[in-house]
Amino acid sequence: MRMLNFAKRNFKELIRDPLSLVFEIILPVFLLFIFQQIKVPDDAYKLENFTPGIIIFGFSFITLFTATLVAKDRGSSLLIRLGTSPMKSSDYILGYILSLIPIIIIQDILFFIVAILLGLTFTINIIYTILISILVSVLFITLGILIGSLVSEKASGGVGSIIVQLVCFTSGMYFSKDLVGKMFSKVCEILPFESCLNIIKGTLNNNMQIIETRNIIIYVLYTFLVLIISVILFKKRMTSDNK
Amino acid sequence: MYSIEIRDLTKKFKDKVAVNNISLKIKEGELFALLGVNGAGKTTTIKMLSGLILPTSGDIIIESMDIKKDTLKIKEILNVSPQETAIAPNLTVKENLEFMAGVYQIKNKDDKINGLIKTFKLDEVLNKKAKTLSGGWQRKVSIAISLINDPKILFLDEPTLGLDVIARKELWKVIKGLKGKITIILTTHYMEEAESLSDRIGIMSNGKLIDVGTSKELIKKVKSKNFEDAFVKIATGGDL
Ligand SMILES: Nc1ncnc2c1ncn2[C@@H]1O[C@H](COP(=O)(O)OP(=O)(O)OP(=O)(O)O)[C@@H](O)[C@H]1O
Ligand SMILES: [Mg+2]
Repeated sequence: MRMLNFAKRNFKELIRDPLSLVFEIILPVFLLFIFQQIKVPDDAYKLENFTPGIIIFGFSFITLFTATLVAKDRGSSLLIRLGTSPMKSSDYILGYILSLIPIIIIQDILFFIVAILLGLTFTINIIYTILISILVSVLFITLGILIGSLVSEKASGGVGSIIVQLVCFTSGMYFSKDLVGKMFSKVCEILPFESCLNIIKGTLNNNMQIIETRNIIIYVLYTFLVLIISVILFKKRMTSDNK
Repeated sequence: MYSIEIRDLTKKFKDKVAVNNISLKIKEGELFALLGVNGAGKTTTIKMLSGLILPTSGDIIIESMDIKKDTLKIKEILNVSPQETAIAPNLTVKENLEFMAGVYQIKNKDDKINGLIKTFKLDEVLNKKAKTLSGGWQRKVSIAISLINDPKILFLDEPTLGLDVIARKELWKVIKGLKGKITIILTTHYMEEAESLSDRIGIMSNGKLIDVGTSKELIKKVKSKNFEDAFVKIATGGDL
């Protein structure tokens, strides 16, 4: 399978970049640990709420480094060479998505190991959360492909860190959106990150009430749209004069 | 039968005409050298022939298939060694070969890879990451990769650029070994390379294909002492 072959190459390329692993894994683990030591008197920082936040935070770096990988590939002559091979657009897009799934699983497992060491009780919900989070991660990965198809390698880091910031401020991982006002609250609802966090939080805590229908619609809509747009953009890039 | 037929091929980048109305037929097994000064349009021509960029107008027929319709089928049987070395930087040489074998879904993968390792004497760099190799070694790997699918048509865009004398002579030997078996289009700035390797030579200038013939024919045509002089005369229109 061409797609798997490409995914294998991408995975190697990704894990051989130690900096990406620092941000994708070590930084979130560090934050999880630190915020449990501080004991902030806010529900958002309870282990069962903050761990899902950390998962989403880790995903935002997946977006960043996916964007960098795609932009780098576009800028290198490797993609020019692949452009003369019989690889199809679907091979590229699925190859990129698949290559990140193992990293998502590694993230999830490590985050939960640390959370359990810090006091989270192990339940079967953790397994469900990992499975659901893999679905959620598809949005973050395709968002990275979209950014990487749009901007240069240099700019991909900057645009990627905007996503990281948006996740921090609009997902509700650090504070509830209601604290900041109506306008901001609306922005959080329109952006997909709060919905992603609610879906993961609800699954982990077996508390389906906090997952609103709105959250699921927003997540599905965004994932679908971002996937379609990234495929179109990437395809266009592959046949354009300037990759 | 013709391996490649090009009709009225034109490529414009905005208002820059990079390739201007080229028509050419290349026979099966022929080694065709494309010469021309910097910016003449050689790489752009190769990019169109290999399906990487779309022509502004004109037709490309490869092995009786239209590149616009049978793109994927055509891509199975050709390969390109791009002007810029193209390899995956964080993969080792071995992994690069395996990756590209996967891209072309090669069946007897190990035999093929071992064959290339032997032909290009890649043993000593096999487990080194591609990005740590010297420029010349990267190029050798890049060229080796272009043979991974036993292409029927091979495009070599300045293959010997950056190679030392010995590596260049070795590559010539490899190319001569392929002659007659597959169709090769090669660009180069080394006149002796074009002369000693090719069956026919095409000279491009400002996007136009201004002359085609064997080196002997071209020398005779412009009445010069050697091929280098003939090239200069043709490419400059006799200004130099
Ligand atoms: N993507 C592009 N956008 C705009 N102009 C381009 C693009 N690619 C090539 N050109 C222009 O087209 C012309 C032909 O370029 P090309 O790379 O085909 O030349 P070449 O014969 O391969 O030259 P060299 O010997 O230097 O490799 C040049 O003027 C170049 O600037
Ligand atoms: Mg060129």
